[in-house]
Amino acid sequence: MPAKSTLKNAFPIIMLTIVVAVCVSLLTYVDSCTREKISAQEDEAFKAMLTEMFPEMSRYEELKDDIYTVYSDGSQLGYAFLAIGKGYGGDINILVGLSEATTVKGIKIISQTETPGLGTRVTEPFFTDQFAGIAIEDIALSQDGGKIDAITSSTISSSAVVDAVRATAMEKIKQLEGGD
Amino acid sequence: MGKFAKEFAKGIILSNPVFVLALGLCPTLAISTSIDNALGMTLAVFIVLFFSNIIIALIRNYVPNITRIPIFIVIIATLVTAVNLIFHAYLPDTYEALGIFLPLIVVNCIILGRAEAFASKQSVVHSIADALGITVGFMTALLMISFIRQVLGTGNLTVFGVDFGSLPVLGEHPIAIFILPYGAFLVIGLLMGLFRRTGVMKSE
Repeated sequence: MPAKSTLKNAFPIIMLTIVVAVCVSLLTYVDSCTREKISAQEDEAFKAMLTEMFPEMSRYEELKDDIYTVYSDGSQLGYAFLAIGKGYGGDINILVGLSEATTVKGIKIISQTETPGLGTRVTEPFFTDQFAGIAIEDIALSQDGGKIDAITSSTISSSAVVDAVRATAMEKIKQLEGGD
Repeated sequence: MGKFAKEFAKGIILSNPVFVLALGLCPTLAISTSIDNALGMTLAVFIVLFFSNIIIALIRNYVPNITRIPIFIVIIATLVTAVNLIFHAYLPDTYEALGIFLPLIVVNCIILGRAEAFASKQSVVHSIADALGITVGFMTALLMISFIRQVLGTGNLTVFGVDFGSLPVLGEHPIAIFILPYGAFLVIGLLMGLFRRTGVMKSE
């Protein structure tokens, strides 16, 4: 009977279609349940990072084009923005805090894909803490006349962070001065 | 020994996923640089393997042979994505700690390998035993490799922020090759050879 054998041949395809349909609806459901929570978590994480840099912070707002102004009660503490460095294994996303007087308040590595055990050490405090209180023109590796010591055997990752922080900071300061 | 215990025990030595089955080498090579990573990866593998083995054992009689692989892949990918989203939303600290490991499970062929070789042919209970045994076997292998790589490659041993001190000479001059990807091949190859030579593990 041809009808029966057609059905038999179609069975694997029907089964696969059912599995895909169930999986897609399940994922859509999970996504709709978790979306709000996740974006709230991300805001929370961003706020926590800013607070670590600016302990006195009471609130922040986006000024323009990814530049955030940080306030403590009424007074302005400084600015924060994102910088992207070209690392050894891909982009390094960095959050940079700036105090008013074009001095770096601190930096934080948000994400990176550097070599485990070597380049990944750019996330560690012994490297990032060096940036606090350094004037922007001095943000360079010490071998290039700056004030930041590179990580041993991770010069590419180190200079990617340093270059991104300096270049982006200069660009953002220009925007802040020109735009107001 | 009951069948449950037997299926559990075989995952540790007889069918050790890394040293005997040579499954899941991609994530093993990538993350076996520290004990912390090894434990994070083990947890991620456990969660996904546990559920995928159960689901696949449940539907095994309704899966047509010809489209079984795409069906398994869709189920595993769905599980990984769902677990990823749920952790991100409700367990942000665990999500943060697991970081790259959860998404990496997609390329972990241990999960698909066990679905194909075991869960699609066995009962739910035995599939659970298999998932547990394979997880312990995977953890044992990862811990050995990461221990060697971390100690030789960085010269010291730190587990979850607890410092166990550094070695006298290696602390100053670590052998960085062990941290790099080719160091992973070296360590896995030597351990595999050692286990085969001494007869602890045999190839299947």
